[in-house]
Amino acid sequence: MTKYIIRRLLYMIPVLMGVSLIIFILFNLVAGDPSAVLLGKNATARQMLEMKEQLGLNKSHFAQYVDILKSAFTFDFGRSWATKQQITYMIKQGAYPSLCLTIPAFIISTILSLIIALVVAFYRGKGIDLFIRFVCIAGMSISALAYILGFQYFFAFKLGWFEISGFEYGFPNFVPYVALPGIIWILLSLGPDVRFFRTIILDEVYQDYVRTARAKGLSEMTILLKHVLRNAMIPIITYVVIQIPYLILGALLLESFFGIPGLGGITLNALNSSDFPVIKAMAILSSVIYIIFSLISDILYTVADPRVKLK
Amino acid sequence: MTSPLLSVKNLVVEFHTSEGITRAVNNVSFDIPQGKTIGIVGESGSGKSVTSLAVMGLLQKPAARIPQGEILFNNQDLLKFNDDQLRAVRGNQISMIFQEPMTSLNPVFKVGDQIAESLRIHKKMTSKQAWARAVELMNQVGIPKPAESAHKYPHELSGGQKQRVMIAMAISCDPKLLIADEPTTALDVTIQKQVLDLLFKLQQEYKMSMMFITHDLGVIGDIADDVVVMYRSNVVEKNKAKEVFTTASHPYTKGLLACRPKLGANPRRLLTVSDFMTEEGVEIPIDIAKIQVFDKQEEQDAKKSEILLEVKNLVTQFPIKGGIFGKTVDHFKAVNDVSFTLKKGQTLGLVGESGCGKTTLGRSILRLIEPASGQIIYNGQDITNVRAEELRLLRRKMQIIFQDPYSSLNPRMTVSEILTEPLNIHNVGGSKNERLDMAKALVEKVGLKTQQMNRYPHEFSGGQRQRICIARALMLRPEFVICDESVSALDVSIQAQVLNLLLDLQQEFGLTYIFISHDLSVVNFIADEVGVMYAGKIIEMDKASRIYKNPKEEYTRTLLKAIPKGDAKTELASLV
Amino acid sequence: MKNHSLWRDAFGRLFQDKWAVASFIIVIAYSLVAILSAMGLIAYDWAREVGGSNLPPSAEHYFGTDIFGRDVLSKVIRGTQIAMSVGLATSLIAIPIGVILGAFAGYFGGWVDDLITWLYTTFSSIPNIMLLISITMILGKGLFAVYVALGATSWVNLCRLIRGEVMKHKEREYVQAAGAIGGGHFRKLFKHILPNVTHIIIINTSLQFQIAIKSEVILSYLGLGVQGEPSWGTMIDDAKLELSRGVWWQLAGATLAMFVIVLAFNLLGDALRDSLDPKLKGK
Repeated sequence: MTKYIIRRLLYMIPVLMGVSLIIFILFNLVAGDPSAVLLGKNATARQMLEMKEQLGLNKSHFAQYVDILKSAFTFDFGRSWATKQQITYMIKQGAYPSLCLTIPAFIISTILSLIIALVVAFYRGKGIDLFIRFVCIAGMSISALAYILGFQYFFAFKLGWFEISGFEYGFPNFVPYVALPGIIWILLSLGPDVRFFRTIILDEVYQDYVRTARAKGLSEMTILLKHVLRNAMIPIITYVVIQIPYLILGALLLESFFGIPGLGGITLNALNSSDFPVIKAMAILSSVIYIIFSLISDILYTVADPRVKLK
Repeated sequence: MTSPLLSVKNLVVEFHTSEGITRAVNNVSFDIPQGKTIGIVGESGSGKSVTSLAVMGLLQKPAARIPQGEILFNNQDLLKFNDDQLRAVRGNQISMIFQEPMTSLNPVFKVGDQIAESLRIHKKMTSKQAWARAVELMNQVGIPKPAESAHKYPHELSGGQKQRVMIAMAISCDPKLLIADEPTTALDVTIQKQVLDLLFKLQQEYKMSMMFITHDLGVIGDIADDVVVMYRSNVVEKNKAKEVFTTASHPYTKGLLACRPKLGANPRRLLTVSDFMTEEGVEIPIDIAKIQVFDKQEEQDAKKSEILLEVKNLVTQFPIKGGIFGKTVDHFKAVNDVSFTLKKGQTLGLVGESGCGKTTLGRSILRLIEPASGQIIYNGQDITNVRAEELRLLRRKMQIIFQDPYSSLNPRMTVSEILTEPLNIHNVGGSKNERLDMAKALVEKVGLKTQQMNRYPHEFSGGQRQRICIARALMLRPEFVICDESVSALDVSIQAQVLNLLLDLQQEFGLTYIFISHDLSVVNFIADEVGVMYAGKIIEMDKASRIYKNPKEEYTRTLLKAIPKGDAKTELASLV
Repeated sequence: MKNHSLWRDAFGRLFQDKWAVASFIIVIAYSLVAILSAMGLIAYDWAREVGGSNLPPSAEHYFGTDIFGRDVLSKVIRGTQIAMSVGLATSLIAIPIGVILGAFAGYFGGWVDDLITWLYTTFSSIPNIMLLISITMILGKGLFAVYVALGATSWVNLCRLIRGEVMKHKEREYVQAAGAIGGGHFRKLFKHILPNVTHIIIINTSLQFQIAIKSEVILSYLGLGVQGEPSWGTMIDDAKLELSRGVWWQLAGATLAMFVIVLAFNLLGDALRDSLDPKLKGK
């Protein structure tokens, strides 16, 4: 077990090096000379040189790559081109509003999806199962943009039930601002989550041990909630954990529509102002978080499943 | 005269699917008296398991329907029970053991908990009481260190131990009726024997009735009082166990009894069900010439044949990974220093239980798995290290027939594509038509129809598929064929047909066989010489008849003892 | 004498499913519209002013007109062309890369597997949306960047699936049998194993196609997609400001067009999985 964790930890190194390599290729090699973008077309050669030095682009390719790799550990990403602020500071500022929106929405949608999936699995093959499956697929087929535009227009603009845009720090002040985007988040997650959980649960329902449980005289409800769910929880936990990085990344579209100054909003602003360092920083940061959580997810899997005995 | 514990009357079970209605159980009636064991015998698809699931109320609704019949348990019709009433009976008064111990236990709960669960719901015991009783039960079914083992998860137990846990679970509430659905089929022969003994002992101790379902008449003879034979959804014979073995009345039962190879006799061919009756079930007279007994040894000594294959000190090993970087820390020797010689036209049988290395040995000889050391000399040529190109040419001479007729044929290729592929690879036969003609000739030889050659494997039965596999192996006219558990997945009656076919082909093409099996009686029937494998080594090797009559090794004796004799009820009873 | 290949059986089952047939027809219809539009036979004059600004839907203009008096239906059709081309291009990039890498990793194992596993783990470690944004931003806005970005992200899943499936099949006895009759690696992998994993490619492509369409809409909405031509994403972007003035038809047209095709691909994907993957049958 410990050996597995160590091995899994060590495997993070080549993956992190690979991620850095992709980011280096994209941002330092392909993107070309950003100083031209920054200074405009009329910049003098001298200005360009100074800019390059400032951005560290006069270093060798290898040194530039090492800089990226280093930033994955130090989280020192330099300054934004657009706001001139320290990117680390911007991220710290943006994390709070993002998490206020995503964490509650994530928890509610996961629990709700699991309950619906259990109900659907209990009535598998019957009318309610078919109906909910179809609603899930139909819901997944509508563009996220349509949900956001429609809901914001109708519930916030027309009916005035929610704040249209903005954010306030501190509980419970932020609640009115995140309520509607949170509901949209939940609606967007329900479709895929219910479908995934249902498949996982039904995979278990047809296993032999369920027949054994029936032969013991257990009720269908007990079988589903005890025997089946305990087995299904193994893939479900890993699925849920692997989504956590996206919470930190923020909700790109929701934040921009509802004016929430989170990480998603920061990313979009950077995109609009061609603020390369911020996008680069977000790419590195999100990858690092993703790698950490996929490690946690793998470890949880081995803990949750007594069959996996890794030495 | 007391009424029987369970009485099944005129039971009909139908399955309604999109393809129509199939009748799985047709008008079946039988009784199980108090404290007696009834064996229900039949091949796969005969309706025996469906009958048992109907008794348990475990048929999958709404596909399965019971339009007619009664299942009286203590004079109450179980078919009229509602779900709650049925649940009170299931696991409490009637309990069941299934065929697959590997998958029948919930993998994420401790086995102690799984046994205790029944006690908690039916006997209303507290968790502590139930756990204590579970440990007692585990002791009773012979699981070593029960107090510790109760804390284990199913995957930490062996197959035999898992089945013991299933048995402990089934008897936990002192059931009046125990249904055992092929409880030993998935187990090794020596373990099978132990589990059967245990079931018989418990049945006596607990004064239970037992409904024992199996495809193997031999197994049932050991423990049943009465036997019910099912064939194509119908009961064709009901009788006292002893009488079934001596004076079977239905031709199907006679066929079943005859097709199982017996250790004592050495018939030239095995009789099959089709020797006793036609497809429609009409009895036909038996051709006595077919069961003529002969002494194999005499025949062999007459031929002075030369050596075809010589294996010297063969070792095949698999790496054991360990450490943080998954480095190879040790090797597991699946085949450990094996040597033997095989003469032309002879059959060497290799027997042993799962994991003994017999399959690895077979594949190492063909170099489908690379051996680590030793020598394989084929026809005087050392082929241990020949290169890929030369090996490809050798494949024309050496072939293999696998165990599982379902996975050994590519499901996306037709029979003619499967059969002409070896010819294409080795560029045998000029034109496409020539190749097709060669395939057709062989298809007829193995007893299939040439019109079926455009079909895909899934359109054939298990026995037919194995015939396709045999035809594929023979397409290149090999001299030497390894049959790796080639009849193990087949019903006994089909098994006899395929064994006969293999013998016929051996004679016609002068083949040399290595026949690998876990079943000593099958090996004894087909092989001239038998090697017993244990833990990667051949521990004993001799003429087939001598091994049977005069085993030298203790392990060989255990194997021999474990073979169900068919009529050993009295011998077993004396043990209790 | 009947003979049924597994494919025929599978498609027989598929065509008994009314939803699957309807979905299939929708996919064909969308493809036709996209092809006709690409050939310049329909909606070629989408940029022409055909009436007043922001006219609501009428018999003349079923989806109304936009702020410049252009026919929204024609714009939706142009958008269909873009969306379908992105789906197609993504599949054309993802399938060869995913299948070949996955098959090699699964079949050969060892260092080949280590290398390919590292490669797709690395790619999947960068959250998709960040990779999409980065690539389109760096390559410059436009369709080409969208193709590359979606191609770069969509092969990963297919590669992983194919690798796992090939590993399973490699151990099957029919592959060993192919070796025993003298078949080499090439024959075993391409003639025996790959035809048995093709259903994975079909199912995955059906689902990947709709993910590509959805992604294109979002990228276009963010201004990273196609430039100077209408796409469903840019139409929704336009609609954002118009909605408060009661102009809903541009949003409705683009959303409806996208909903129908994505729904069709989703239903088709499910139906394909049920009919092509027999182990999931009856669930």
